[in-house]
Amino acid sequence: MTAVELLEIEKAFGPTAVVKKLSLSVREGELVALLGPSGCGKTTTLRMIAGLERPDRGRVLLSGQLVDDGATFVAPERRGLGMVFQSYAIWPHKTVFENVAYPLRLKRPTDVAGAVKQALGWVRLEAFGERRPHQLSGGQLQRVALARALVGAPKVLLLDEPLSNLDVALREELRGEIASLRAKLGTTMILVTHDQAEALALADRVAVMNRGVIEQLAPPDVVYREPATPFVAGFVGGANVLDGEVRDASFVSHGVTFPLPAGTAAQAGPGTLVVRAEDVHLGDGGPALPLEARLFMGSATEFRLALGASVLRATGPAALEARPGQAVTVRFGRAQLFSRRGT
Amino acid sequence: MTRVLPGALAALLLATVFVPLGLLLARSGGSGDWLEAWRSPESRHALAGTLLTSGGASAIALALGVPFAWLIARTDVAARGALRTVVTLPSAIPPYLWTMGWIALANPRSGWLTLVVGRERLDVYGTAGIAFVLGTSALPLVVLATAAALERIDPGLEEAARLSGAGAFTTFRDVTLPLIAPATLSGGALVFVFASASFGVPYLLGVPANPPAPTLTTRIYAEVLMGEAGLARAASLSVQLLLVAVGVLAVNAFLSRAGRVRLSRGKGGSARVTALGPWRWPLSSLAWATAVAVIVLPLLAIFLTGLMPTWGQWGRLTLEHWSLVLQPRTLAAAGASALLGALAALLVGALGLAVAITRRRWLETLADAPSALPGTVLALALLVAFSRDVRFIAFERVTFVLALGNTLWLVLLSYVVKHLALGVRAASDALAQADLSLAEAARLSGAGRLRAFVDGVLPQLHGALVGAALLTFLTCVSELTMSVLLVPTGGDVLGTLLFELQSYADPASAAVIASALLLVVLSALVVQNVVARRAEARG
Ligand SMILES: Nc1ncnc2c1ncn2[C@@H]1O[C@H](COP(=O)(O)OP(=O)(O)OP(=O)(O)O)[C@@H](O)[C@H]1O
Ligand SMILES: [Mg+2]
Repeated sequence: MTAVELLEIEKAFGPTAVVKKLSLSVREGELVALLGPSGCGKTTTLRMIAGLERPDRGRVLLSGQLVDDGATFVAPERRGLGMVFQSYAIWPHKTVFENVAYPLRLKRPTDVAGAVKQALGWVRLEAFGERRPHQLSGGQLQRVALARALVGAPKVLLLDEPLSNLDVALREELRGEIASLRAKLGTTMILVTHDQAEALALADRVAVMNRGVIEQLAPPDVVYREPATPFVAGFVGGANVLDGEVRDASFVSHGVTFPLPAGTAAQAGPGTLVVRAEDVHLGDGGPALPLEARLFMGSATEFRLALGASVLRATGPAALEARPGQAVTVRFGRAQLFSRRGT
Repeated sequence: MTRVLPGALAALLLATVFVPLGLLLARSGGSGDWLEAWRSPESRHALAGTLLTSGGASAIALALGVPFAWLIARTDVAARGALRTVVTLPSAIPPYLWTMGWIALANPRSGWLTLVVGRERLDVYGTAGIAFVLGTSALPLVVLATAAALERIDPGLEEAARLSGAGAFTTFRDVTLPLIAPATLSGGALVFVFASASFGVPYLLGVPANPPAPTLTTRIYAEVLMGEAGLARAASLSVQLLLVAVGVLAVNAFLSRAGRVRLSRGKGGSARVTALGPWRWPLSSLAWATAVAVIVLPLLAIFLTGLMPTWGQWGRLTLEHWSLVLQPRTLAAAGASALLGALAALLVGALGLAVAITRRRWLETLADAPSALPGTVLALALLVAFSRDVRFIAFERVTFVLALGNTLWLVLLSYVVKHLALGVRAASDALAQADLSLAEAARLSGAGRLRAFVDGVLPQLHGALVGAALLTFLTCVSELTMSVLLVPTGGDVLGTLLFELQSYADPASAAVIASALLLVVLSALVVQNVVARRAEARG
């Protein structure tokens, strides 16, 4: 059963298309992360699911029911969704209890107090019901937002960068909280983020967005190991993305010829080569490149090599004897080639 | 200089505001005398009149102002920018001009609107009329406060309500309204203070009413006219007026503190515009019709009354009355007003700057305070304090005589003191934002302290000070409330001349002068806009 279905939705603000023919279907109970750089249209997509923004074209379905196709429009308050906003959006004129109780009060169920208590329990804020929002920390506010979004038992929970305003420690803690709540309640969730660690850690499937389109929709390990496009490889894995040309089992980029590793599917012509930093072996034969800098990162050391005007990144052992300015030989252990036909 | 200046300024303020205020209180007798005076039927009637007209004015300003603010701040209402300009226009125009327009439109015998709906069916005279005219002329206080609050609310707060299951109306009731309430009510409180301190409107509409509708300010004026005996009663009435103003302002201070807490988390300027959809044209028409009816129509009535002495005689439009503008008495009054306004503007700018550069909060508060005093109270205090010559005797021989009583100098003093807050706030805000490194750079290149200030800091304050001076000039040129008590007998300023023509002699001539004044005010507004825009472009 699909909980959320987007069919070729499009949205433009003035002349700029922000979301282009985007389709996505989210299964019931699933957590899908929308991951992409700033301004790629994640929030806009989420807002169209919520009904806070109307698509110019295309259709939105919730649990198989049409909620927006231009003619039909189901208002946000009648879609049965919960949403956590990036700015928390906790009402400053209500107590924590009243904030969480509000969705229930609109529905008039029998036991408001009990349900609010339970929801505050989920986010471990039972003792804070009578507090005013300005007496809470950012992390506590974000948990109130979670409780308020979940208290009405929504079919789908929408989360717009719920952790981005928090410091690192709180972010880890709340990330765990979201995962355990999901295990407990089984709520379908769509999580917008530009933090790849967050997406990879929490999601069943990751939708990597770029300039208004989904470039890849797959489980986290697949997105990481088998990126569908050079953009996904660069954004998710932090891989080197080299433009160049394939010639006789070699790849020529910025005038340097790199032998392609055995087993790389290659086709002569222009292409883009994606190599993860950990797959770049140094001091083990191959063309030599000047070392620009070495950055000690704790468990590994990052080496930055000059390749024309750009930089090739490699991780290697700290023991490697090489100082900036010296030339180091480079060999690719594993690489992925994307041919660019017609461009 | 830094040690002498604050003391000198404080002494000046004490001598010109606080000592006179003390003398006024002394004149009113003790609290026993106050209670005695307040118990009289006339006095109770006047207090009731003030509370009723001011409360009514606040209610009208809130009822009209909140919908206007919402349309302007949050919707795609037709010609949004123009609508904002029109509904905020009243802040620049003295309220008694509106009164003149409404008298032409809605007096019970020959008002233009009265003739449309039927004789005697419409009567602008009396308590309701006063409240209506005061409320509409104070509309900007509510509109601007509410619109600013609406623009500052984080749109997420309202969207979260929608996602919680609230419809558009429920969201407005449960989230938007509580969030803007402190700002809006504070605007309403300011309307109350403005209305309770106003003199021209209740005089022109309350005295000729049947039965008469007195307020504290018009009662005080009547007592002052009676001479020495009336002065004591006027003084005790002004204590009452002062208490009303202080009480409401205290409530207001409390409300704005509450409001700050509530809006502090909003991201500025991120409010989303609601598309009105099928409601756009009905609501736009309604909004524009209302704006035209309460703001454009009375101004139009003033212009037309000056051109057409008898209503309906379109064939006899004439500029004949306009020759009045050039009569010696009018010219003398206009000259006096322009001179007083210009001097007041200059002094407000200079003294405001002087107060601001001392960087003493207590001094700024002291200089701000007189702006909250009802004009009638301030004028009465000055009248009491300076009605006789003030003598200073120095070195036991030389005698200085400060003869301010019954001169235009006293009028100037009242203008400056009342508007000083404009200059202080402008200079102090600009100073807080100024880049002081320019002055430091100037000092490092060898300039003295004064030189460094003039070269490095003053240019950055220039725009704000000019703005404050222009505003002072505009309000002083048409000032009535204080002038009517302080202008020496036989002399005129524009406000008192208009007031006299309108209330006793010749409304058509009054309309001509009012039209000329309106033209001046409107063109000054354009100038002010240009200056502000240029300052913005430079900053
Ligand atoms: N109401 C609007 N009017 C005009 N342009 C808008 C509006 N909302 C978003 N945009 C533009 O649409 C683009 C996509 O915005 P969106 O908020 O969906 O990005 P995002 O992927 O959520 O980015 P971020 O990670 O920075 O939040 C941006 O370029 C943004 O400037
Ligand atoms: Mg976003």
